Amino acid sequence: MLLIINLLYVDPGSGSYLVQLIIAGFLGVLFYFKSLWWKIKAFFKKGDKNQKPNSDEAN
Amino acid sequence: MADVLYHPASYKDPSGFVFTSNGKIFRQVNKSYREDYDLLLSSGLYKELSEKKFLVTHQEVSENLTQTNEWYKTLSPEHLPFISYPYEWCFDELKDAALLTLKVMKISMKRGMILKDATPFNVQFLHARPIFIDTLSFEKYEISKPWIAYRQFCECFLFPLLLEHYRQIDTQKLLTVYLEGIPAQTTAKLLPRKSLLNINILLHVFLQNSVAATAAPTNSRRITDFNPNKLLRLIDSLESTIRHLRFKTTVRTTWNNYYEETILSQEYLNKKEHIFREYIKDLQGSKAIDIGCNDGFFSKILAEYIPNVIAVDFDSQCINRLYTETKSLLNKNILPLCVDLTNPSPSVGFNHAERESFRERAKSATAIALGLIHHLVLSKNIPISGVAKMFADLTTDTLIIEFVPLNDEKAQLLIANKTKYHVPYDSTTFELVFEKYFAIEKRATIPGTERILYRMRIKS
Repeated sequence: MLLIINLLYVDPGSGSYLVQLIIAGFLGVLFYFKSLWWKIKAFFKKGDKNQKPNSDEAN
Repeated sequence: MADVLYHPASYKDPSGFVFTSNGKIFRQVNKSYREDYDLLLSSGLYKELSEKKFLVTHQEVSENLTQTNEWYKTLSPEHLPFISYPYEWCFDELKDAALLTLKVMKISMKRGMILKDATPFNVQFLHARPIFIDTLSFEKYEISKPWIAYRQFCECFLFPLLLEHYRQIDTQKLLTVYLEGIPAQTTAKLLPRKSLLNINILLHVFLQNSVAATAAPTNSRRITDFNPNKLLRLIDSLESTIRHLRFKTTVRTTWNNYYEETILSQEYLNKKEHIFREYIKDLQGSKAIDIGCNDGFFSKILAEYIPNVIAVDFDSQCINRLYTETKSLLNKNILPLCVDLTNPSPSVGFNHAERESFRERAKSATAIALGLIHHLVLSKNIPISGVAKMFADLTTDTLIIEFVPLNDEKAQLLIANKTKYHVPYDSTTFELVFEKYFAIEKRATIPGTERILYRMRIKS
Protein backbone atom coordinates (compact mmCIF):
# COMPACT_ATOMS: atom_id res chain seq x y z
CA MET A 1 0.00 0.00 0.00
CA LEU A 2 2.83 2.35 0.94
CA LEU A 3 4.49 1.56 -2.38
CA ILE A 4 1.30 2.38 -4.30
CA ILE A 5 0.98 5.69 -2.46
CA ASN A 6 4.65 6.45 -3.20
CA LEU A 7 4.18 5.66 -6.90
CA LEU A 8 1.18 8.00 -7.13
CA TYR A 9 3.44 10.91 -6.31
CA VAL A 10 6.27 10.25 -8.76
CA ASP A 11 6.53 11.04 -12.44
CA PRO A 12 5.24 7.96 -14.32
CA GLY A 13 8.34 7.97 -16.54
CA SER A 14 10.95 7.99 -13.82
CA GLY A 15 9.95 4.59 -12.44
CA SER A 16 11.12 2.98 -15.66
CA TYR A 17 14.64 4.48 -15.54
CA LEU A 18 16.05 1.79 -13.28
CA VAL A 19 14.38 -0.94 -15.38
CA GLN A 20 15.97 0.47 -18.51
CA LEU A 21 19.39 0.51 -16.88
CA ILE A 22 19.11 -3.16 -15.98
CA ILE A 23 17.63 -4.19 -19.35
CA ALA A 24 20.28 -2.21 -21.22
CA GLY A 25 22.92 -4.00 -19.12
CA PHE A 26 21.54 -7.42 -20.09
CA LEU A 27 21.26 -6.42 -23.74
CA GLY A 28 24.84 -5.14 -23.64
CA VAL A 29 26.11 -8.51 -22.43
CA LEU A 30 24.02 -10.29 -25.07
CA PHE A 31 25.34 -7.94 -27.73
CA TYR A 32 28.91 -8.64 -26.64
CA PHE A 33 28.48 -12.39 -26.99
CA LYS A 34 26.62 -12.04 -30.29
CA SER A 35 29.42 -9.87 -31.69
CA LEU A 36 31.96 -12.43 -30.52
CA TRP A 37 29.96 -15.20 -32.24
CA TRP A 38 29.77 -13.19 -35.49
CA LYS A 39 33.53 -12.63 -35.36
CA ILE A 40 34.18 -16.35 -34.88
CA LYS A 41 31.81 -17.18 -37.74
CA ALA A 42 33.39 -14.53 -39.96
CA PHE A 43 36.85 -15.90 -39.14
CA PHE A 44 35.92 -19.41 -40.27
CA LYS A 45 34.01 -18.14 -43.33
CA LYS A 46 37.07 -16.15 -44.31
CA GLY A 47 39.04 -19.33 -43.96
CA ASP A 48 36.56 -21.11 -46.27
CA LYS A 49 36.91 -18.39 -48.90
CA ASN A 50 40.69 -18.75 -48.85
CA GLN A 51 40.33 -22.44 -49.33
CA LYS A 52 37.87 -22.22 -52.23
CA PRO A 53 40.28 -20.94 -54.91
CA ASN A 54 42.64 -23.70 -53.90
CA SER A 55 39.99 -26.31 -54.40
CA ASP A 56 39.06 -24.73 -57.78
CA GLU A 57 42.69 -24.90 -58.80
CA ALA A 58 42.78 -28.51 -57.77
CA ASN A 59 39.90 -29.19 -60.16
CA MET B 1 -11.21 37.09 -31.60
CA ALA B 2 -12.11 34.09 -33.75
CA ASP B 3 -14.51 31.44 -32.48
CA VAL B 4 -12.03 29.21 -30.59
CA LEU B 5 -12.84 25.78 -29.13
CA TYR B 6 -10.17 23.90 -27.15
CA HIS B 7 -9.93 20.19 -28.03
CA PRO B 8 -11.01 18.20 -24.94
CA ALA B 9 -8.21 15.61 -25.42
CA SER B 10 -5.42 18.17 -25.69
CA TYR B 11 -4.85 19.16 -22.07
CA LYS B 12 -2.00 16.98 -20.77
CA ASP B 13 1.03 18.57 -22.40
CA PRO B 14 1.83 22.16 -21.35
CA SER B 15 3.87 22.56 -24.57
CA GLY B 16 0.74 23.48 -26.52
CA PHE B 17 -2.73 22.35 -27.46
CA VAL B 18 -5.12 21.62 -30.30
CA PHE B 19 -8.10 23.85 -30.93
CA THR B 20 -10.60 24.63 -33.64
CA SER B 21 -11.20 28.09 -34.95
CA ASN B 22 -14.21 28.59 -37.21
CA GLY B 23 -14.35 24.82 -37.68
CA LYS B 24 -10.69 24.49 -38.77
CA ILE B 25 -8.15 22.55 -36.69
CA PHE B 26 -5.03 24.29 -35.38
CA ARG B 27 -2.25 23.49 -32.93
CA GLN B 28 -0.81 26.16 -30.68
CA VAL B 29 2.86 25.99 -29.67
CA ASN B 30 3.41 27.62 -26.29
CA LYS B 31 6.45 29.70 -25.34
CA SER B 32 7.57 26.95 -22.96
CA TYR B 33 8.12 24.65 -25.99
CA ARG B 34 9.93 27.33 -28.04
CA GLU B 35 13.43 25.78 -27.89
CA ASP B 36 12.27 22.28 -28.73
CA TYR B 37 10.04 23.48 -31.57
CA ASP B 38 12.87 25.54 -33.06
CA LEU B 39 15.20 22.53 -32.74
CA LEU B 40 12.64 20.30 -34.49
CA LEU B 41 12.86 22.59 -37.52
CA SER B 42 16.54 23.60 -37.39
CA SER B 43 17.80 20.01 -36.88
CA GLY B 44 16.07 18.95 -40.11
CA LEU B 45 14.01 16.39 -38.18
CA TYR B 46 10.65 17.84 -39.20
CA LYS B 47 11.76 17.93 -42.85
CA GLU B 48 13.01 14.33 -42.82
CA LEU B 49 9.96 12.91 -41.00
CA SER B 50 7.43 14.77 -43.12
CA GLU B 51 9.20 13.89 -46.38
CA LYS B 52 9.12 10.23 -45.39
CA LYS B 53 5.40 10.68 -44.55
CA PHE B 54 6.06 9.63 -40.95
CA LEU B 55 4.78 12.93 -39.51
CA VAL B 56 1.86 15.15 -40.55
CA THR B 57 2.91 18.31 -42.32
CA HIS B 58 1.84 21.74 -41.11
CA GLN B 59 1.85 25.37 -42.15
CA GLU B 60 2.74 28.10 -39.69
CA VAL B 61 0.05 30.75 -39.22
CA SER B 62 1.39 34.09 -38.03
CA GLU B 63 -1.69 34.95 -35.97
CA ASN B 64 -2.32 34.39 -32.24
CA LEU B 65 -5.82 32.99 -32.74
CA THR B 66 -6.34 32.12 -29.06
CA GLN B 67 -5.09 35.52 -27.81
CA THR B 68 -3.22 33.77 -24.97
CA ASN B 69 -0.01 35.10 -23.42
CA GLU B 70 1.68 31.70 -23.72
CA TRP B 71 1.42 31.83 -27.53
CA TYR B 72 4.55 31.21 -29.57
CA LYS B 73 3.31 29.75 -32.88
CA THR B 74 0.08 28.62 -34.49
CA LEU B 75 0.27 25.58 -36.74
CA SER B 76 -2.28 24.53 -39.31
CA PRO B 77 -1.78 20.74 -39.65
CA GLU B 78 -2.48 18.60 -42.69
CA HIS B 79 -6.14 17.53 -42.80
CA LEU B 80 -6.91 13.94 -41.82
CA PRO B 81 -10.19 12.59 -43.18
CA PHE B 82 -11.01 10.44 -40.16
CA ILE B 83 -9.75 10.13 -36.58
CA SER B 84 -9.61 6.55 -35.34
CA TYR B 85 -8.53 5.24 -31.94
CA PRO B 86 -6.25 2.33 -30.95
CA TYR B 87 -9.20 0.37 -29.57
CA GLU B 88 -10.65 0.34 -33.10
CA TRP B 89 -7.48 -0.89 -34.80
CA CYS B 90 -6.78 -4.46 -35.75
CA PHE B 91 -3.61 -6.23 -34.60
CA ASP B 92 -1.53 -5.25 -37.64
CA GLU B 93 -2.61 -1.62 -37.43
CA LEU B 94 -1.43 -1.46 -33.81
CA LYS B 95 1.76 -3.29 -34.76
CA ASP B 96 2.50 -0.86 -37.63
CA ALA B 97 1.78 2.10 -35.33
CA ALA B 98 4.25 0.66 -32.78
CA LEU B 99 6.95 0.15 -35.41
CA LEU B 100 6.41 3.68 -36.73
CA THR B 101 6.83 5.10 -33.22
CA LEU B 102 10.16 3.27 -32.85
CA LYS B 103 11.28 4.37 -36.32
CA VAL B 104 10.44 8.01 -35.49
CA MET B 105 12.32 7.63 -32.21
CA LYS B 106 15.48 6.36 -33.95
CA ILE B 107 15.44 9.09 -36.59
CA SER B 108 14.88 11.69 -33.85
CA MET B 109 17.92 10.45 -31.90
CA LYS B 110 20.13 10.91 -34.95
CA ARG B 111 18.96 14.53 -35.11
CA GLY B 112 19.51 15.20 -31.40
CA MET B 113 15.90 14.82 -30.30
CA ILE B 114 13.80 12.17 -28.56
CA LEU B 115 10.11 11.28 -28.17
CA LYS B 116 8.86 12.44 -24.78
CA ASP B 117 5.72 10.31 -25.02
CA ALA B 118 4.77 7.15 -26.88
CA THR B 119 1.03 6.72 -26.91
CA PRO B 120 -0.85 5.23 -29.87
CA PHE B 121 -3.19 8.23 -29.69
CA ASN B 122 -0.30 10.13 -31.34
CA VAL B 123 -0.72 7.99 -34.45
CA GLN B 124 -3.42 8.02 -37.13
CA PHE B 125 -3.87 6.15 -40.41
CA LEU B 126 -3.67 7.74 -43.83
CA HIS B 127 -3.63 5.71 -47.07
CA ALA B 128 -3.15 2.43 -45.22
CA ARG B 129 -0.08 3.75 -43.40
CA PRO B 130 0.36 4.97 -39.85
CA ILE B 131 1.36 8.61 -39.50
CA PHE B 132 2.58 10.44 -36.41
CA ILE B 133 0.36 13.43 -35.61
CA ASP B 134 1.78 15.04 -32.47
CA THR B 135 4.28 17.66 -33.59
CA LEU B 136 4.95 18.63 -29.96
CA SER B 137 6.10 15.15 -28.86
CA PHE B 138 9.76 15.86 -29.57
CA GLU B 139 12.27 17.22 -27.10
CA LYS B 140 16.03 17.73 -26.92
CA TYR B 141 17.86 14.45 -26.36
CA GLU B 142 20.02 14.37 -23.24
CA ILE B 143 22.34 11.50 -24.06
CA SER B 144 22.98 10.45 -20.48
CA LYS B 145 19.28 9.77 -19.80
CA PRO B 146 17.13 6.73 -20.59
CA TRP B 147 13.86 7.03 -22.54
CA ILE B 148 11.17 8.75 -20.49
CA ALA B 149 8.41 7.15 -22.59
CA TYR B 150 9.74 3.56 -22.39
CA ARG B 151 7.14 2.31 -19.92
CA GLN B 152 4.32 4.04 -21.77
CA PHE B 153 5.47 2.42 -25.02
CA CYS B 154 5.48 -1.03 -23.42
CA GLU B 155 2.08 -0.61 -21.79
CA CYS B 156 0.35 0.92 -24.82
CA PHE B 157 1.94 -1.07 -27.66
CA LEU B 158 4.08 -4.03 -26.67
CA PHE B 159 1.89 -5.58 -23.96
CA PRO B 160 -1.44 -5.57 -25.88
CA LEU B 161 0.35 -7.02 -28.93
CA LEU B 162 1.93 -9.76 -26.80
CA LEU B 163 -1.42 -10.67 -25.25
CA GLU B 164 -3.03 -10.93 -28.68
CA HIS B 165 -0.09 -12.98 -30.03
CA TYR B 166 0.10 -15.45 -27.16
CA ARG B 167 -3.45 -15.49 -25.82
CA GLN B 168 -5.61 -14.21 -28.71
CA ILE B 169 -7.11 -11.56 -26.43
CA ASP B 170 -8.56 -8.82 -28.68
CA THR B 171 -6.41 -5.70 -28.43
CA GLN B 172 -9.55 -3.61 -29.08
CA LYS B 173 -11.32 -4.81 -25.95
CA LEU B 174 -8.19 -4.46 -23.81
CA LEU B 175 -7.44 -0.93 -24.97
CA THR B 176 -11.03 0.25 -24.53
CA VAL B 177 -10.62 -0.39 -20.81
CA TYR B 178 -6.90 0.32 -20.41
CA LEU B 179 -6.77 3.70 -22.17
CA GLU B 180 -3.36 4.47 -20.68
CA GLY B 181 -1.99 1.02 -21.49
CA ILE B 182 -1.91 -2.38 -19.79
CA PRO B 183 0.31 -2.56 -16.68
CA ALA B 184 3.29 -4.94 -16.69
CA GLN B 185 1.81 -6.74 -13.69
CA THR B 186 -1.41 -7.62 -15.54
CA THR B 187 0.51 -8.64 -18.66
CA ALA B 188 2.88 -10.87 -16.69
CA LYS B 189 -0.07 -12.66 -15.09
CA LEU B 190 -1.80 -13.28 -18.41
CA LEU B 191 1.14 -14.37 -20.56
CA PRO B 192 1.89 -18.12 -20.79
CA ARG B 193 5.07 -19.57 -19.26
CA LYS B 194 6.48 -20.41 -22.70
CA SER B 195 6.80 -16.67 -23.41
CA LEU B 196 9.57 -16.64 -20.77
CA LEU B 197 11.75 -18.48 -23.26
CA ASN B 198 11.96 -15.29 -25.31
CA ILE B 199 14.74 -13.19 -23.76
CA ASN B 200 13.19 -9.90 -24.91
CA ILE B 201 9.84 -10.73 -23.29
CA LEU B 202 11.62 -11.88 -20.17
CA LEU B 203 13.30 -8.49 -19.94
CA HIS B 204 10.54 -6.12 -21.05
CA VAL B 205 7.66 -7.80 -19.23
CA PHE B 206 8.79 -10.02 -16.39
CA LEU B 207 11.90 -8.14 -15.33
CA GLN B 208 10.11 -4.81 -15.64
CA ASN B 209 7.29 -6.16 -13.51
CA SER B 210 9.55 -7.48 -10.77
CA VAL B 211 11.75 -4.36 -10.68
CA ALA B 212 8.71 -2.06 -10.61
CA ALA B 213 7.19 -4.07 -7.77
CA THR B 214 10.30 -4.13 -5.58
CA ALA B 215 12.30 -1.00 -6.34
CA ALA B 216 11.66 2.26 -4.59
CA PRO B 217 10.79 5.17 -6.85
CA THR B 218 13.97 6.35 -8.51
CA ASN B 219 15.11 9.91 -8.72
CA SER B 220 15.61 10.36 -12.46
CA ARG B 221 18.21 13.09 -11.92
CA ARG B 222 20.52 10.59 -10.25
CA ILE B 223 20.57 8.26 -13.25
CA THR B 224 23.28 9.40 -15.57
CA ASP B 225 24.83 6.07 -16.53
CA PHE B 226 23.10 5.79 -19.88
CA ASN B 227 24.22 6.47 -23.43
CA PRO B 228 22.88 6.42 -27.02
CA ASN B 229 24.24 2.90 -27.68
CA LYS B 230 22.32 1.50 -24.71
CA LEU B 231 19.16 3.29 -25.79
CA LEU B 232 19.52 2.08 -29.38
CA ARG B 233 19.92 -1.53 -28.16
CA LEU B 234 16.78 -1.10 -26.06
CA ILE B 235 14.83 0.20 -29.06
CA ASP B 236 16.23 -2.51 -31.37
CA SER B 237 15.15 -5.12 -28.84
CA LEU B 238 11.60 -3.70 -28.73
CA GLU B 239 11.52 -3.50 -32.53
CA SER B 240 12.71 -7.06 -33.05
CA THR B 241 10.20 -8.40 -30.48
CA ILE B 242 7.30 -6.59 -32.15
CA ARG B 243 8.34 -7.57 -35.69
CA HIS B 244 8.12 -11.24 -34.74
CA LEU B 245 4.60 -11.01 -33.32
CA ARG B 246 1.89 -12.50 -35.52
CA PHE B 247 -1.88 -12.32 -35.63
CA LYS B 248 -3.24 -15.85 -35.51
CA THR B 249 -6.01 -16.42 -38.02
CA THR B 250 -6.72 -20.05 -37.26
CA VAL B 251 -9.60 -19.31 -34.89
CA ARG B 252 -12.90 -19.70 -36.69
CA THR B 253 -15.07 -16.58 -36.66
CA THR B 254 -18.46 -15.58 -38.02
CA TRP B 255 -17.19 -14.31 -41.36
CA ASN B 256 -14.35 -16.73 -42.09
CA ASN B 257 -14.97 -18.08 -45.56
CA TYR B 258 -18.45 -16.54 -45.52
CA TYR B 259 -18.61 -16.05 -49.25
CA GLU B 260 -16.58 -19.13 -50.10
CA GLU B 261 -19.03 -21.36 -48.29
CA THR B 262 -22.19 -19.84 -49.75
CA ILE B 263 -23.58 -21.92 -52.60
CA LEU B 264 -24.83 -18.75 -54.26
CA SER B 265 -21.47 -17.06 -53.79
CA GLN B 266 -19.94 -16.01 -57.12
CA GLU B 267 -23.10 -15.63 -59.16
CA TYR B 268 -24.86 -13.82 -56.31
CA LEU B 269 -21.87 -11.53 -55.79
CA ASN B 270 -21.62 -10.64 -59.49
CA LYS B 271 -25.29 -9.68 -59.69
CA LYS B 272 -25.15 -7.71 -56.47
CA GLU B 273 -22.00 -5.94 -57.66
CA HIS B 274 -23.71 -4.98 -60.92
CA ILE B 275 -26.64 -3.30 -59.11
CA PHE B 276 -24.32 -1.79 -56.51
CA ARG B 277 -22.15 -0.14 -59.17
CA GLU B 278 -25.27 1.38 -60.75
CA TYR B 279 -26.26 2.83 -57.36
CA ILE B 280 -22.90 4.39 -56.50
CA LYS B 281 -21.72 5.84 -59.81
CA ASP B 282 -23.17 9.32 -59.10
CA LEU B 283 -22.61 9.51 -55.32
CA GLN B 284 -21.81 12.83 -53.68
CA GLY B 285 -19.41 13.57 -50.81
CA SER B 286 -15.87 12.62 -49.93
CA LYS B 287 -16.53 10.13 -47.14
CA ALA B 288 -18.37 6.83 -47.09
CA ILE B 289 -18.77 4.15 -44.48
CA ASP B 290 -19.25 0.44 -45.12
CA ILE B 291 -20.95 -1.05 -42.08
CA GLY B 292 -20.45 -4.78 -41.63
CA CYS B 293 -17.84 -4.79 -44.40
CA ASN B 294 -16.88 -8.48 -43.99
CA ASP B 295 -13.90 -9.07 -46.35
CA GLY B 296 -14.22 -5.56 -47.80
CA PHE B 297 -15.35 -6.68 -51.28
CA PHE B 298 -17.80 -3.76 -51.56
CA SER B 299 -15.55 -1.30 -49.67
CA LYS B 300 -12.98 -1.78 -52.43
CA ILE B 301 -15.59 -1.04 -55.12
CA LEU B 302 -16.77 2.00 -53.16
CA ALA B 303 -13.17 3.19 -52.90
CA GLU B 304 -13.05 3.45 -56.70
CA TYR B 305 -15.60 6.27 -56.50
CA ILE B 306 -15.17 7.89 -53.06
CA PRO B 307 -11.87 9.36 -51.76
CA ASN B 308 -12.24 8.13 -48.15
CA VAL B 309 -13.89 4.86 -47.21
CA ILE B 310 -14.18 3.63 -43.63
CA ALA B 311 -14.78 -0.12 -43.53
CA VAL B 312 -16.03 -1.45 -40.20
CA ASP B 313 -16.85 -4.88 -38.88
CA PHE B 314 -16.90 -6.42 -35.40
CA ASP B 315 -14.78 -9.35 -36.62
CA SER B 316 -11.14 -8.42 -36.00
CA GLN B 317 -9.90 -11.26 -38.26
CA CYS B 318 -11.75 -9.82 -41.27
CA ILE B 319 -10.48 -6.32 -40.51
CA ASN B 320 -6.91 -7.53 -40.09
CA ARG B 321 -7.07 -9.34 -43.41
CA LEU B 322 -8.56 -6.30 -45.14
CA TYR B 323 -5.90 -4.00 -43.66
CA THR B 324 -3.00 -6.17 -44.81
CA GLU B 325 -4.64 -6.46 -48.23
CA THR B 326 -5.26 -2.68 -48.46
CA LYS B 327 -1.55 -2.04 -47.89
CA SER B 328 -0.78 -3.85 -51.13
CA LEU B 329 -3.62 -2.31 -53.16
CA LEU B 330 -3.10 0.52 -55.60
CA ASN B 331 -6.15 2.25 -54.11
CA LYS B 332 -5.29 2.71 -50.45
CA ASN B 333 -8.17 4.98 -49.46
CA ILE B 334 -9.85 2.39 -47.21
CA LEU B 335 -9.51 2.56 -43.44
CA PRO B 336 -10.53 -0.80 -41.92
CA LEU B 337 -11.66 -0.60 -38.28
CA CYS B 338 -12.95 -3.08 -35.71
CA VAL B 339 -16.28 -1.68 -34.54
CA ASP B 340 -19.31 -3.56 -33.32
CA LEU B 341 -22.33 -1.49 -34.35
CA THR B 342 -24.39 -2.99 -31.55
CA ASN B 343 -21.79 -1.76 -29.05
CA PRO B 344 -19.77 0.97 -30.79
CA SER B 345 -16.80 2.84 -29.26
CA PRO B 346 -18.15 5.10 -26.49
CA SER B 347 -17.10 8.62 -25.47
CA VAL B 348 -14.31 7.99 -23.00
CA GLY B 349 -11.63 9.75 -21.02
CA PHE B 350 -11.73 12.84 -18.85
CA ASN B 351 -15.20 14.35 -18.54
CA HIS B 352 -16.51 11.84 -21.15
CA ALA B 353 -15.08 14.15 -23.78
CA GLU B 354 -11.47 13.15 -24.41
CA ARG B 355 -12.22 10.54 -27.07
CA GLU B 356 -15.35 10.99 -29.15
CA SER B 357 -17.79 8.16 -29.66
CA PHE B 358 -17.75 6.33 -32.97
CA ARG B 359 -21.09 7.83 -33.99
CA GLU B 360 -19.81 11.38 -33.49
CA ARG B 361 -16.88 10.70 -35.82
CA ALA B 362 -18.40 8.35 -38.36
CA LYS B 363 -21.17 10.51 -39.84
CA SER B 364 -20.64 10.20 -43.59
CA ALA B 365 -22.27 11.36 -46.80
CA THR B 366 -22.80 7.73 -47.76
CA ALA B 367 -23.41 4.65 -45.67
CA ILE B 368 -23.71 1.12 -47.03
CA ALA B 369 -24.98 -1.90 -45.14
CA LEU B 370 -25.02 -5.06 -47.21
CA GLY B 371 -26.02 -8.41 -45.73
CA LEU B 372 -26.32 -6.83 -42.30
CA ILE B 373 -29.91 -6.11 -41.35
CA HIS B 374 -30.86 -9.73 -40.58
CA HIS B 375 -27.97 -9.93 -38.11
CA LEU B 376 -29.11 -6.79 -36.30
CA VAL B 377 -32.82 -7.64 -36.22
CA LEU B 378 -32.83 -11.43 -35.97
CA SER B 379 -29.61 -12.14 -34.03
CA LYS B 380 -29.32 -9.04 -31.87
CA ASN B 381 -33.05 -8.41 -31.48
CA ILE B 382 -32.80 -4.76 -32.46
CA PRO B 383 -36.17 -3.52 -33.81
CA ILE B 384 -36.16 -2.32 -37.46
CA SER B 385 -37.07 1.15 -36.15
CA GLY B 386 -33.85 1.18 -34.06
CA VAL B 387 -31.77 0.15 -37.06
CA ALA B 388 -33.37 2.87 -39.23
CA LYS B 389 -32.67 5.53 -36.58
CA MET B 390 -29.03 4.38 -36.30
CA PHE B 391 -28.48 4.71 -40.07
CA ALA B 392 -30.21 8.11 -40.08
CA ASP B 393 -27.69 9.23 -37.43
CA LEU B 394 -24.73 7.98 -39.49
CA THR B 395 -25.74 9.29 -42.92
CA THR B 396 -25.95 12.82 -44.25
CA ASP B 397 -26.94 11.92 -47.81
CA THR B 398 -27.29 8.38 -49.17
CA LEU B 399 -27.88 4.94 -47.68
CA ILE B 400 -27.46 1.76 -49.68
CA ILE B 401 -28.93 -1.14 -47.76
CA GLU B 402 -29.75 -4.75 -48.52
CA PHE B 403 -32.88 -6.31 -47.08
CA VAL B 404 -32.50 -10.03 -46.35
CA PRO B 405 -35.95 -11.67 -46.03
CA LEU B 406 -36.92 -14.26 -43.44
CA ASN B 407 -36.96 -17.13 -45.95
CA ASP B 408 -33.35 -16.45 -47.01
CA GLU B 409 -30.88 -19.27 -46.34
CA LYS B 410 -28.77 -17.07 -44.02
CA ALA B 411 -31.76 -15.60 -42.16
CA GLN B 412 -33.09 -19.12 -41.58
CA LEU B 413 -29.76 -20.09 -40.00
CA LEU B 414 -30.05 -17.19 -37.58
CA ILE B 415 -33.56 -18.07 -36.38
CA ALA B 416 -33.06 -21.85 -36.34
CA ASN B 417 -32.68 -21.92 -32.56
CA LYS B 418 -34.61 -18.77 -31.72
CA THR B 419 -38.15 -18.49 -30.51
CA LYS B 420 -38.36 -14.74 -30.08
CA TYR B 421 -37.47 -11.95 -32.47
CA HIS B 422 -39.18 -8.75 -33.55
CA VAL B 423 -42.04 -9.25 -36.01
CA PRO B 424 -43.23 -8.36 -38.54
CA TYR B 425 -39.89 -8.74 -40.34
CA ASP B 426 -40.64 -8.26 -44.03
CA SER B 427 -39.81 -5.83 -46.83
CA THR B 428 -43.12 -3.92 -46.50
CA THR B 429 -42.52 -3.19 -42.82
CA PHE B 430 -38.85 -2.44 -43.56
CA GLU B 431 -39.78 0.16 -46.20
CA LEU B 432 -42.49 1.70 -44.03
CA VAL B 433 -40.14 2.15 -41.09
CA PHE B 434 -37.15 3.41 -43.11
CA GLU B 435 -39.36 5.92 -44.97
CA LYS B 436 -39.70 7.83 -41.70
CA TYR B 437 -36.08 8.98 -42.18
CA PHE B 438 -35.28 8.20 -45.83
CA ALA B 439 -36.85 8.56 -49.28
CA ILE B 440 -36.44 5.36 -51.29
CA GLU B 441 -34.85 6.27 -54.62
CA LYS B 442 -34.15 2.85 -56.09
CA ARG B 443 -34.95 -0.74 -55.27
CA ALA B 444 -33.86 -3.92 -57.08
CA THR B 445 -34.25 -7.59 -56.26
CA ILE B 446 -30.96 -9.45 -56.61
CA PRO B 447 -31.68 -12.08 -59.31
CA GLY B 448 -31.85 -15.65 -58.03
CA THR B 449 -32.63 -14.49 -54.49
CA GLU B 450 -35.37 -12.57 -52.69
CA ARG B 451 -32.91 -10.09 -51.26
CA ILE B 452 -33.60 -6.46 -52.15
CA LEU B 453 -31.00 -3.73 -52.61
CA TYR B 454 -32.22 -0.21 -51.83
CA ARG B 455 -30.78 3.20 -52.45
CA MET B 456 -32.28 5.81 -50.15
CA ARG B 457 -31.72 9.51 -49.56
CA ILE B 458 -32.03 11.04 -46.13
CA LYS B 459 -34.99 13.35 -45.62
CA SER B 460 -33.97 16.86 -44.61
